[in-house]
Amino acid sequence: MATTACFIIVSRNDIPIYEAEVGVAAKREDAAQLHQFILHAALDVVQDLAWTTSAMYLKSVDRFNELVVSVYVTAGHTRFMLLHDSRNDDGIKSFFQDVHELYIKTLLNPLYLPGSRITSSHFDTKVRALARKYF
Amino acid sequence: MANFLAQFQTIKNSSDRLVISVEDVSDLWPTVKPAFEARLPFKKASLNNKTRNPVLVETLPAEFILTTDSRLRSRFPQEQLLFWFREPYATVVLVTCEDLDEFKTILKPRLKLIVQNDEREWFIVFVSKAHPANDQASKMAKKVYAKLEVEFSSKKRERCCKYDMHFPEANFWEDLESKITECIRNTLDRRVQFYEDEIRKLSEQRLMPVWNFCNFFILKESLAFIFEMGHLHEDALREYDELELCYLETVNMSGKQRDFGGGERGDDQAAVLNPGNKALTQIVQEDSFREFEFRQYLFACQSKLLFKLNRPIEVASRGYSFIISFSKSLALHERILPFCMREVWVITACLALVEATTSNYNDGLMVPDIEKEFFLLLGDLYSLGRVKFMRLAYLVGYGTEIERSPVNSASLSLLPWPKPAVWPSVPADASSEVLDKEKLILQTTPRAKHFGIQRKPLPLEPTVLLREANRRRASLSAGNVFEIFDSRQGPVEGSGFDASSRMSPQKVHASSMSRTNSSPGNFDGSIDRPMRLAEIYVAAEHALKQTISNQELLKSLSSSEEFEQKYLELTKGAADNYHRSWWKRHGVVLDGEIAAVAFKRGHFDQAAKSYEKVCALYSGEGWQDLLAEVLPYLAECQKILDDQAGYLLSCVRLLSLDEELFSTKERQAFQSEVLRLAHSEMKNPVPLDVSSLITFSGNPGPPLELCDRDPGILSVTVWSGFPDDITLDSISLTLMATNNADEGVKALKSSTAIVLQPGRNTITLDLPPHKPGSYVLGVLTGQIGQLRFRSHSFSKIGPADCDDFMSYEKPAKPILKVFKPRALVDLEAAVSSALLINEHQWLGILVRPLNYSLRAAVLHIDTGPGLEIEKSHIIEMESCACVSQNDDGQGGAQVDSLNYEKRFERLTLDDGKVVFPNWASDTPSVLWVLIRAISDTLCRGSSSGTTRRESIVDGMRTIALKLEFGAFHNQTFERTLAVHFTYPFYVRTRVTDKCNDGTLLLQVILHSEVKATLTVYDAWLDLQDGFIHTGQTDGRPNSSFFPLIISPTSKAGILFSICLGKTNAEEEATKQPESILNIKYGISGDRTSGAHRPFLNESTGVDGVRQELIFKTAITLQRPVLDPCIAVGFLPLPSDGLRVGQLVKMQWRVERLKYLDEKEVSQQSVSLRKQKKEECLLHVRSLDEVLYEVNANSGNWMIAGRKRGHVSLSIKQGARIIISVLCMPLVAGYVRPPLLGLPDVDEANIRCKPAGPHLICVLPPALSSSFCIPVDS
Repeated sequence: MATTACFIIVSRNDIPIYEAEVGVAAKREDAAQLHQFILHAALDVVQDLAWTTSAMYLKSVDRFNELVVSVYVTAGHTRFMLLHDSRNDDGIKSFFQDVHELYIKTLLNPLYLPGSRITSSHFDTKVRALARKYF
Repeated sequence: MANFLAQFQTIKNSSDRLVISVEDVSDLWPTVKPAFEARLPFKKASLNNKTRNPVLVETLPAEFILTTDSRLRSRFPQEQLLFWFREPYATVVLVTCEDLDEFKTILKPRLKLIVQNDEREWFIVFVSKAHPANDQASKMAKKVYAKLEVEFSSKKRERCCKYDMHFPEANFWEDLESKITECIRNTLDRRVQFYEDEIRKLSEQRLMPVWNFCNFFILKESLAFIFEMGHLHEDALREYDELELCYLETVNMSGKQRDFGGGERGDDQAAVLNPGNKALTQIVQEDSFREFEFRQYLFACQSKLLFKLNRPIEVASRGYSFIISFSKSLALHERILPFCMREVWVITACLALVEATTSNYNDGLMVPDIEKEFFLLLGDLYSLGRVKFMRLAYLVGYGTEIERSPVNSASLSLLPWPKPAVWPSVPADASSEVLDKEKLILQTTPRAKHFGIQRKPLPLEPTVLLREANRRRASLSAGNVFEIFDSRQGPVEGSGFDASSRMSPQKVHASSMSRTNSSPGNFDGSIDRPMRLAEIYVAAEHALKQTISNQELLKSLSSSEEFEQKYLELTKGAADNYHRSWWKRHGVVLDGEIAAVAFKRGHFDQAAKSYEKVCALYSGEGWQDLLAEVLPYLAECQKILDDQAGYLLSCVRLLSLDEELFSTKERQAFQSEVLRLAHSEMKNPVPLDVSSLITFSGNPGPPLELCDRDPGILSVTVWSGFPDDITLDSISLTLMATNNADEGVKALKSSTAIVLQPGRNTITLDLPPHKPGSYVLGVLTGQIGQLRFRSHSFSKIGPADCDDFMSYEKPAKPILKVFKPRALVDLEAAVSSALLINEHQWLGILVRPLNYSLRAAVLHIDTGPGLEIEKSHIIEMESCACVSQNDDGQGGAQVDSLNYEKRFERLTLDDGKVVFPNWASDTPSVLWVLIRAISDTLCRGSSSGTTRRESIVDGMRTIALKLEFGAFHNQTFERTLAVHFTYPFYVRTRVTDKCNDGTLLLQVILHSEVKATLTVYDAWLDLQDGFIHTGQTDGRPNSSFFPLIISPTSKAGILFSICLGKTNAEEEATKQPESILNIKYGISGDRTSGAHRPFLNESTGVDGVRQELIFKTAITLQRPVLDPCIAVGFLPLPSDGLRVGQLVKMQWRVERLKYLDEKEVSQQSVSLRKQKKEECLLHVRSLDEVLYEVNANSGNWMIAGRKRGHVSLSIKQGARIIISVLCMPLVAGYVRPPLLGLPDVDEANIRCKPAGPHLICVLPPALSSSFCIPVDS
């Protein structure tokens, strides 16, 4: 299990629509902001990388000292970004794929406006469960 | 072989180009040298690369050296093999000869001797000294050259060329160059082959213990050097790459503990671009090299070649990864390296790389994508150097100067502290410095956050420095000091610098105490006592002074100003390059750091600009946590710069951020700032966009529905994002029509102050009448104090200034629907059947609201001509059960009638108006107006033949109604009702029988015209002149039949017996032309169905009393018509038609129909007028003669014969005679035919059968040739 992991879904307008700290490490108060900062900066990398491959899973795109940013880009250019310190590449890929499925289910909700914040607690619970499962 | 390393190095350094030896056989070199050397360096030389593929080398530098030169002579054969790369690559043999014999005897053997050495690549240049004018000499030279060619050139290879000293042939130099190149190529191939073989041999022994990396290195580098000399840089680079791989393998593989290096003075400065930084002999270690120096050396060689290949971008990209990987190696050996050596090395390496690559970089020559990548690498290098520099600065104590922004915090707090074997301790003589530092720490107050934001500053350190430093030191001594220390630090763990600085007053106190107790020199680096922060700083500073050899870097760390300068330079470099590489997020974030420095220095203008960029990025992408960090700074700048609009906007943005990002107190501070500015004098009041803070929407549920021209009240939900109540002095809200954009948008205004509570509020606005259509909410504008604000109805889902957001916006829900004009009310006559004319009747007006309230409606009643309203102006109103006509279901109607409660009210008409009671607002009602239709004419009866339409038109009256209704009487409805009035009866008469005694039975038929029961009480007939009642009665029928009741629309008959009577002279004066039928009747009907009993004032009329009305009608009686006695018939005309000018015979037949006796003649004469009576009798006497007369229009007809005359006709019944008249039509067309009249016989007695034609057709005259006139004449 990763000690630190921060998962963010960024809409195609670069707006974060879902955030979750999914690591097991005792949370530093300021960590959320730092993680946000790192992930936000990694968008620069993603913007270059996303168009060079047809795969959705971009693997680790950026590295920040010990932390690694893995990114998964959906067809609608919604980006799932995970900041983590574990090396479990396969697990992260599966995690992304399962979250993608969850995300699509959310999109299918007629009351959910694409590009708006995902506030569903069900989604949150599921994502956290997936995180526990995979890393 | 490693012993040759030094020699190898010097040889390599001394020779830098290919050598071409010159064998000067005939002492010609001094003469031709200038011409030969002018050809250097060679252009476009074709060489083979390592894979034996031809490569065109642009310029190939070379050097001509005489074989007699000492440089070539003094070499040992062994050396020659080892350092083969410096040996000549070609040998040019310069000869001349003017005599064949001489050639044969002297030159040829000598040349043979020279070229017998197979190792060398040689060729012969025959120099002809012969002047072209001298034919003899030229010929001889040619001959000798021919001989030479025969001797030395072969079919395979041309080895000779001829150089004419005076007039060189045009292609000589090309020939020479190609020959030299050929030689060089061959030599090169051979030597490369040799080195490769050698290297392969060595490689095979790699795993053997005897293997020596130095030997391998010398061979490999020799090969690389050969390529480099041949300007085959690609191949050279590949050799170095292989060398590096091989080296790393040996380093990693061998389990031997080797010296890493890097401990020497000056090693802290990276030598990544300087291969000659240290002599290789210095770094050699046993059979290999020290890693620290040698890896840098290899990289330097590679980058040198890359620069030669003009690939600075590759240098940058290889350099960046080299720095990263080398930094890792440094980290592994950090314990043996000087304090912070790694950080210093990275800084210097980054800066050196940046400098070298940018200076070698030609702007604009690259493909944009590659260029982008280059700037990205530069940005990365700058930012790497920047982070390390900040780390050093923090250690020295400039932590307060470093902005605690997310970027700095993220870079520094995740970066571990340096891990020296022992943390440096305070030098003995540094007590004053420690005091200074302590003072500095005390003086610096943590930067106050604006708006009193109480947020924990972000950390700049991975763990508390105090603890880390002491732990590193304590690990040497007894461990419990650390624990003691830890307990002291416990409560403020993780808070970093601020916490420790907050602690420092107590600690200073403690230390001053200790100073009094002990000697002043006590704290000079005793290991047992934990160091204080100031001591750590001073110790680090001293240690760094030891480490850093670069004066510039030292200077940058010498003071906070210098630090700031360098920090700014690095930050700017990184930001600029990130911007150029389109990594806007990286760039803009660093802009924010520049802004922070500018802010500190007081350059608020510049700071505001940069902060704005950062805020725009974060808010544009909706990263609110990060925005919340920067926005207060921007606001502060704007406040200082007195940019009220910007400041207000920033405050609004702060307020509209997620609520959990700031505490309520902070948010209240933002609001109070907004209010303070709003109520102060603003210089340039600009509308403030508060879309994100005050949002509004229509109420849930269906939109407000209004009818055309109706005003209303609109209720709107407004959300306030302010933490406290806020008073809006006025607001106005625009509505936009969805169907029609260009219509002027009307604003709804509310001038009263509205207090918005935090969260949801409902406000109501007056709505003026709107045009039909549906409307959505537009813009909310309003005023807070002096401040005008506006808000679009964006919800909080996303940032408003994002272009893409519009596409996600929910479709606007209409809030107001104004219907197209439709009938809101219907006015019609309640009763369709006729009312009694000339009587007071209730006119029912059915008022039916169509889903629209008629509260306080006013009805104007205006009567048309022939109609008047009764003077008492009484109006009765009652509710009406007859609901809408459109009710399809019978059931619905029944329910309505069941629930229906009858209401009744008596109203008065005031000035032609009547006001509706409230109960009549929604239900249909009937308004009963008392009116009277006036008709002066007398009703006329008719005989059975005539129609009765006339009377219906007479009874039509109109009444104009105008209803004003709606909340503000804004709606009007006008209608003119036609009301039908009628007499109660319609009378028809008929003589039923003509008795023999001359009595006529006159039957009067009464048709009931009304839907009411009529009761006839009495009826009498006032006869006209010439008729009398039989039996001298008054003409009343037998009264026992009365009262006679007539049901609605049924008939009744009364029979009068009259006879023709004479009149006397007196009566003639008062003679009446018509008979009058008088009927006394009563009526009992319901006003809801039609005619009814006339209304009487209560004073006069008593219920139950029989109300008798008189109906009078005029009847015209005519004398009975006599029987015809003569028939006139028109005989048919010839069938071929009539023509103008053609005679035609008209014929009439006259026939006596009855026998004409005296009595009848006398009776006949009664009908004649008195004055003609005598004459008539005269004619009658000659009974068998009839007077006839033909009347014709003389313009149409010419009559030939008698127009008037007597013809005899027997008096017997059936006598007949034919009267013929010749006529000639004069005009063509349809004309009236001539008519036959009998003047003596009363027309009543003539019967025309068959009747004459009305019009007859006359054809135009036939054409006559005599009228033809030739056209041409």
